[in-house]
Amino acid sequence: MGLNSLFDEYYEKSFIQGGTTCCPGCGGPLLWRIILEILGSKTIIYGDGPCAMCAVRNIKLPNFNLHFSFIADTATGVVAALAAKGREDITVVSSGGDGATADISLGKVSAAAERNENMIQICVDNEAYMNTGIQKSGLTPYGAWTTTTPLGKEAPKKDVPMIIAQHNVPYVTTASVAYPKDLQAKIRKAKGTEGFKYIHVVIPCPTGWRFNPAKSVEVVRLGVQAWAWPLYEIEEGFLRLTLKPRQRPVEDYLKAQNRFRHLTDEQIQYIQGEVDRKRERLLEFDGKRIIL
Amino acid sequence: MSQIVRSFRPVVDLGKCIKCGLCQTFCPEGTVMLKGGEEVVFDYRFCKGCGVCANECPSDAISMVREA
Amino acid sequence: MLFTRMMEGNEAAAWGARLSRAEVIPVYPITPQTEVISHIANFIAREEMKAQYIKVEGEHTAMAAAVGASTAGARVFTASASQGIVFMEEALWMPPGRRLPIVMCMVNRSLAPLGGLRPDHNDSLLQRDNGWIQLYCENSQEVLDTIIMAYRIGEDRNVYLPVAPCYDGYFVSATATPTTVPDQAEVDDFLPPYKHEMYNLMPEEYEPIPFYRPIAESRYEVQQAHERAKRVIEEVDKEYERRFGRSHDGLLEEYACDDVDAVLLTMGSMTGTVRDVVDEMQAEGKRIGLLKLRAFRPFPTEELQKLAEGYHAIGVVDRNTSYGSAGGGIVSMEVARALYLLEEKPLLVNFHVGLGGSDVTMRQVRYMAGKTLEAVEKGRVDSMVDWVELKDLGEVM
Repeated sequence: MGLNSLFDEYYEKSFIQGGTTCCPGCGGPLLWRIILEILGSKTIIYGDGPCAMCAVRNIKLPNFNLHFSFIADTATGVVAALAAKGREDITVVSSGGDGATADISLGKVSAAAERNENMIQICVDNEAYMNTGIQKSGLTPYGAWTTTTPLGKEAPKKDVPMIIAQHNVPYVTTASVAYPKDLQAKIRKAKGTEGFKYIHVVIPCPTGWRFNPAKSVEVVRLGVQAWAWPLYEIEEGFLRLTLKPRQRPVEDYLKAQNRFRHLTDEQIQYIQGEVDRKRERLLEFDGKRIIL
Repeated sequence: MSQIVRSFRPVVDLGKCIKCGLCQTFCPEGTVMLKGGEEVVFDYRFCKGCGVCANECPSDAISMVREA
Repeated sequence: MLFTRMMEGNEAAAWGARLSRAEVIPVYPITPQTEVISHIANFIAREEMKAQYIKVEGEHTAMAAAVGASTAGARVFTASASQGIVFMEEALWMPPGRRLPIVMCMVNRSLAPLGGLRPDHNDSLLQRDNGWIQLYCENSQEVLDTIIMAYRIGEDRNVYLPVAPCYDGYFVSATATPTTVPDQAEVDDFLPPYKHEMYNLMPEEYEPIPFYRPIAESRYEVQQAHERAKRVIEEVDKEYERRFGRSHDGLLEEYACDDVDAVLLTMGSMTGTVRDVVDEMQAEGKRIGLLKLRAFRPFPTEELQKLAEGYHAIGVVDRNTSYGSAGGGIVSMEVARALYLLEEKPLLVNFHVGLGGSDVTMRQVRYMAGKTLEAVEKGRVDSMVDWVELKDLGEVM
């Protein structure tokens, strides 16, 4: 078999065509390739506009896009149509970027969680509005440079997974494309769970985070190792850390990206303090119920 | 199909390769494959030359070579 | 026929959705649409109707869910009004471009700030450019019949467009008029199950929706669908009449127009009042008739041109405002464009009346009819638009 047809067969099997219009090193297509393997062929995917579209339109399963103000609600309609047709065997995946999920469509995601819609809602978090050219979103971390925060973002990142968890939905989790096995296990769990499942995944954006695309996976792995990106899941209200890496200084993570290069030592210390505090709380709550 | 513009292309040194398959796992575009568990191959039709495979390779078997 | 009784427009709308076997119904309440969705909730609770009823958190979401459900192959019904329609505006552009035959009742209500809870047509007329078919209804019976017809029209493979049956809040939504509810089996015969031929999201049958298409070409297709819809609206109306014994005159209704000099052109609930006044005035020997514009989109240009050749003047009654417009209300501007190509053009008189839902009184209608006939007599029109409610009609009558 020739190399080309070997790859064509591989794309067919992994449900995503290679050669997206994403930037080199983008975590988007990587994310989809990792999770489509688990989701399987009986899946309908909704993706929002901008960057996500570049990856989603290469997916070989039923999919469609509207704008990023349509997160979780269009998929709600798909879920209802499937229920009307008695096709509950099909998994509905709704994805949205960080700006979509945390800002313009937060109310919609919250409402879908409240209604406990039977879908997997994925937040594809690259920590800013990247397709419009790197603007601050509600999920941009403290201190990060964007074109609308030239001096660094003043406020911290919204804790969307915890917000959704408080809706008392069956499954909420955070994940990283640097840990594909962990991510796949979570998708498998979500697929087997009835109701609203929220998966918050960090994906690297070399263009917006200002680093060499080759370092894509390395940078998000550093984020997890520094506990800037703790990996946990909340199942029926119980929190469980799925990875407890030996903690690296957050400075290693920050220095790997030029969006943080203007940070002063005091600011880095402040971020380290915040990370430490969050880590302590997570370790304290590990294995415990966190819903009131 | 438009031609992919790429400054570097990945090239493998099979002598150094330990067949771990991490290059395939982490290639964002899915254009790297550990063929038959033995030979690392690249789909140069779609590879963008980002260099993630080379960076993730634990045995430094992949190098990025400037395109002519 | 199931039964006939006095019924409010909103209940008739709920019956329309029920008889059409809508499968997915995403809803958000707003006055004066609310009874539509509460009646449907009761139908479902009593197991008289089977549908996925989604209680969403805003109108934008209601239309988004409608788009998702329709794309996935379900027949969708929803309803909204006023601020709600404007709030879902972004989502309202999706169904025509994606050729989704969603049916949504637009229960007319004026917009804030210079409005209130009562109706004028600015909320639905604001949606005139986005590709929805708009059919304006006068009473409960027409609302019910129009919803059933709307699915036949929208789901016609030559059309594939969303349809909005529009009716005035309060005057139609909350006023009970005699309404005949047809038998489910008869409706089933008339309206086959929904199946979209253009795409299918089911994994077994899925074909990718083409992503890159020339935009002008796609838009031209929507425009052509509107052109074809004119014929379909007329045909569906005729078939409905054959099966159910009721017609609503398709695109445009000519009422008492034999041998008249001029007509008043109306939309929506005020038409009933104008019918009475026209009858009265004709009895007095005045040569005034009535044109009821039922389809505002697609606009029945050719049909109107044909009829207009028989009149010396048309008095367009605009229950809407278009500030700073080329002249007068939205309907009058459409009429003017449609008539522009005629060699023998009738005079065009224009009135603003019933704004913010104020009553359109018989006295006002008499005034408008008189002004239109006066234009015929004088051979000219005095003003671009006449704000009837600002006149002290006690003096002029």
